[in-house]
Amino acid sequence: MDRELLLEIGCEELPAGWLPGLTNQIGETVDVQLRAHRLPPESPVETYSTPRRLTVRIVRIPERQNDLEELVTGPPVSASFKPDGTPTPAAAGFAAKQGVDVGALERLQTPKGEYLAFRRRQRGKATVDVLPEVLRDSLRGLQFPKAMHWDAMLEDGKGDLLFGRPIRWILYLYGGRVVPFSIARTAAAQTSQVQDVATGAVTYGHRFLTTSGRAGRAIKVRSFDEYRARLLENFVILEREERHDKIARELDAKAQRLQGRVSRTVNHETGLLLEVPDLVEYPSVVAGTFGVEFLELPEEVLTTTLIHHQHYFPVEGEDGTLKNAFLAVINTEPDNERTIARNAERVVTARLRDARFFWEADRKIPLEARIDRLGTLLFHKKLGSYKEKAERIERLAEWIASDALSADAATAKLAGQAARLAKADLATDMVREFPELQGVMGGVYARAEGQPEEVWKAIYYHYLPIGVEADAPPTKAQLGKAAVTWAAVSLADKLDTIVGLFAAGEKPTGSRDPYALRRAAQGVVSVLAGTTTITSVSALVDQAYQGYGGKEVANPAWRSAVFEFIKEREAYLLERRGYEAGEVQTVAEFWEWPLTALRRVEVVSKYRASTEFKSLGQLFKRVKNITKDFQPTAPLVEMCSRLSEPAETALADEMARRVPAIANALGQEAFGDVMREIVALVQPVDRFFTEVMVMVDDPHLREARLTLLCKLKESILSFADPSAIVQDDK
Amino acid sequence: MTFQSLILKLSEFWASRGCALQQPLDVEVGAGTMHPETFLRVLGPAHWRVAYVQPARRPADGRFGENPNRLFKHHQFQVILKPAPDDVQQMYLDSLEACGINPRQHDIRFEEDNWESPTLGAWGIGWQVMFDGMEISQFTYFQQAGGLELAPISAELTYGLERIAMVLQRVDSVYDIEWAPGVKYADVRLRDEIEQSKYVFGQVEIPGVEFGAFHRDLFEKYYLLATALLKAGLIWPALEHTLKCSHLFNILDSCNSIGVTERTAFILRIRQLAIGVAKTYVEGDAATSDPAPAIEGAS
Repeated sequence: MDRELLLEIGCEELPAGWLPGLTNQIGETVDVQLRAHRLPPESPVETYSTPRRLTVRIVRIPERQNDLEELVTGPPVSASFKPDGTPTPAAAGFAAKQGVDVGALERLQTPKGEYLAFRRRQRGKATVDVLPEVLRDSLRGLQFPKAMHWDAMLEDGKGDLLFGRPIRWILYLYGGRVVPFSIARTAAAQTSQVQDVATGAVTYGHRFLTTSGRAGRAIKVRSFDEYRARLLENFVILEREERHDKIARELDAKAQRLQGRVSRTVNHETGLLLEVPDLVEYPSVVAGTFGVEFLELPEEVLTTTLIHHQHYFPVEGEDGTLKNAFLAVINTEPDNERTIARNAERVVTARLRDARFFWEADRKIPLEARIDRLGTLLFHKKLGSYKEKAERIERLAEWIASDALSADAATAKLAGQAARLAKADLATDMVREFPELQGVMGGVYARAEGQPEEVWKAIYYHYLPIGVEADAPPTKAQLGKAAVTWAAVSLADKLDTIVGLFAAGEKPTGSRDPYALRRAAQGVVSVLAGTTTITSVSALVDQAYQGYGGKEVANPAWRSAVFEFIKEREAYLLERRGYEAGEVQTVAEFWEWPLTALRRVEVVSKYRASTEFKSLGQLFKRVKNITKDFQPTAPLVEMCSRLSEPAETALADEMARRVPAIANALGQEAFGDVMREIVALVQPVDRFFTEVMVMVDDPHLREARLTLLCKLKESILSFADPSAIVQDDK
Repeated sequence: MTFQSLILKLSEFWASRGCALQQPLDVEVGAGTMHPETFLRVLGPAHWRVAYVQPARRPADGRFGENPNRLFKHHQFQVILKPAPDDVQQMYLDSLEACGINPRQHDIRFEEDNWESPTLGAWGIGWQVMFDGMEISQFTYFQQAGGLELAPISAELTYGLERIAMVLQRVDSVYDIEWAPGVKYADVRLRDEIEQSKYVFGQVEIPGVEFGAFHRDLFEKYYLLATALLKAGLIWPALEHTLKCSHLFNILDSCNSIGVTERTAFILRIRQLAIGVAKTYVEGDAATSDPAPAIEGAS
């Protein structure tokens, strides 16, 4: 018999950004609910979506629920029988409730004593009788980034049913038959035009297109195959992948006809091609153009207008420069290509004309002259305006460039200058209109003013890096001469924000981070993990704090809180770069120097799988345990004469050669060499533990052996703590 | 189709769907939402359907009549359907057809765009309706107004009349729209645009005081009056004077007289008035009349 389950929740247009997540979620939710209702799917859960539908299909689910057997506990035996052996009212009442005689009850041994119990066997219900509850609980189970009231409710005692957008139909079939269910409407809203949403055997195609009949009418279906086929006849491509591929194919074809290709910006900086398949049910592509005079606008402004505001794809020529053309993905057949393109061109032209107005107006006032205006722009109520911030980060960036990045005085000056101007674009019309261009626009204006590369690029890129990936910061090629000034400005801006807000008592919580401090701290460690510095994180933090000139502090424990916060972000960064939590733990001590922490963990990770390293972890744990409460009182050399066993003198000899070698290699940051030296110690240490008893009665000998191990511990810890992995491997 | 016949078509269409045709609010507002026919009617349980044109003033968008797409003052056609009928999207699309737009020949889409008005303490979930890439309407399911949760939920449809007229008439400048046969939009509105822009960007001298200070003073006076009216329980006058404050805030904002620091404080004060108005309305008799729909849809 046909046991296919098909569910389609027909909605008004769901936001494109939600669809990938919701599609997974509805599959998981239905799966969980089927299992909870003892109907475990017998084939994979398939999910599909378009802006107007969330669909789940399972080829086979059971015909009946699994049978249920449960033990219901009654009163304690001690309270169940009178002295004459007849049941007490408690026992009789329990039996009556279960619909049996007291004689049919079992006795159950529990830690609290013996109880009467009833073994209830319940035969599973027919699937079609349970499926309404599965849908009801699935509807309740879906989570939306933002849910809305739409005067709907479920009769499950939980009241209103919030949803992402109003539900307009539900296709719900099991074995080709409708599973009855309905969503009720609240009493306050009910009218002849606000009705319950009942399940049915119908779906709806594209709003405006069809190959037969009237567009938008109900389409009856009995199975998934028929459903998919009828949708296609009615201009709905159910598979996202197919929509994506159709878009990609047509984009390429149209771009070629324009003697160009889809701008690489789209692939590198935005997820436009990832987003558009979720905006349409039946995609096509049309091409449009705009006046060549707009090509004089900065490329960033052109692409922002096209991509972010219109979801259009910019087109570039062979040489990589933008052409005065764009490609638009539409949700219809391109029968009227010219009309649609003409209208799209009109919108693009209007937007570009606005952008040009801002571009021309903004350049009449230099960035420097805008800093006063920043005085009215509040950074934080306790920390003052953006003008004050600009002045603080000017000093901080100059200090970072010279004292942390060893730049010459001239470069440090330029870093300070860039930092001072970095926020000035917040007072421009362009950034007011296109907030996503902050930083970038400041850089573009600085370039137009003739500021040197060190300055304008530092401004341009100073919000970066945003992600944790190694390629998130601007590349060396992009930065050119601005590598140092950019790092200084980027660090200064973020450190100033983190330190100021922590001190002001604005430490983020697990769910609330309104100032995006997590991202800022992530940016700090990400920059530091790619830059050679001569100062530690704590020195940078302290210097940033000085910028506030002793402002009153709401959270006196801010400093340790900031350190904890940065440490966490650094561990996260290392894990995201592919190192396991245990490996990251081995270098946790070195968090103050993210770049060396990164290089150390690289080496640890490389050796991690080797047998030597595994024994090293185990042995090192023993070393740490045995020396836990011991403080050496004299240097090792004075103790060596007390050692006589071959295994301990062998270790001492080995260490006499290798410990200085480790120190030397560390000094040169040759961590691979350090590791080789450490690994070479494994065998002698192993032998030492096998042949030598450390905790002997003779206090002099014991002290000598512990001192030897302490020296060993100190030397290895100066690189990493291999025992951190041992815990991990448990 | 001329600008005026577009208005007539929409009015006719929505009247036939059970809407009472109202008139614009005779106070300066930034959007049709501020009209009591929206702001007050969406509160409380009473069902309601209404449609009206509302001239909307956006001082910051004034361009001295030089920009073909931006206006100090534009016109919205506003529809409130309370509660939102199940086929509200189709009704909206039908209204476009009634205006001569054939949806099969264009790319019409509902793209996520939630609406929020911090000054009114109001927000909703919905879309901007895109027509070949141009936003021609805002479609919102009101969730909250005046800080109050709403039930039942109203649908608000706001048509950008100039945008739709430009599309229908295939013109590139708003000033080329044919308002009435032989009469252009420029003939009706251009001087108004130029002069209003000059005014709101402070190109006027007021003897003895500075432009910004003068309007701040007006704001304070209207704020005082709105507060007093609210205290007296006079909901409509209190709302109108709250809207006066909102408009003055927009003027101050457009001529850069308000620091970003101060903005939040201004917005908060207006919102508190709006919340007071909404509360008083809901508590009073006005909103608790029978929810029996007086004018159920005729279609």
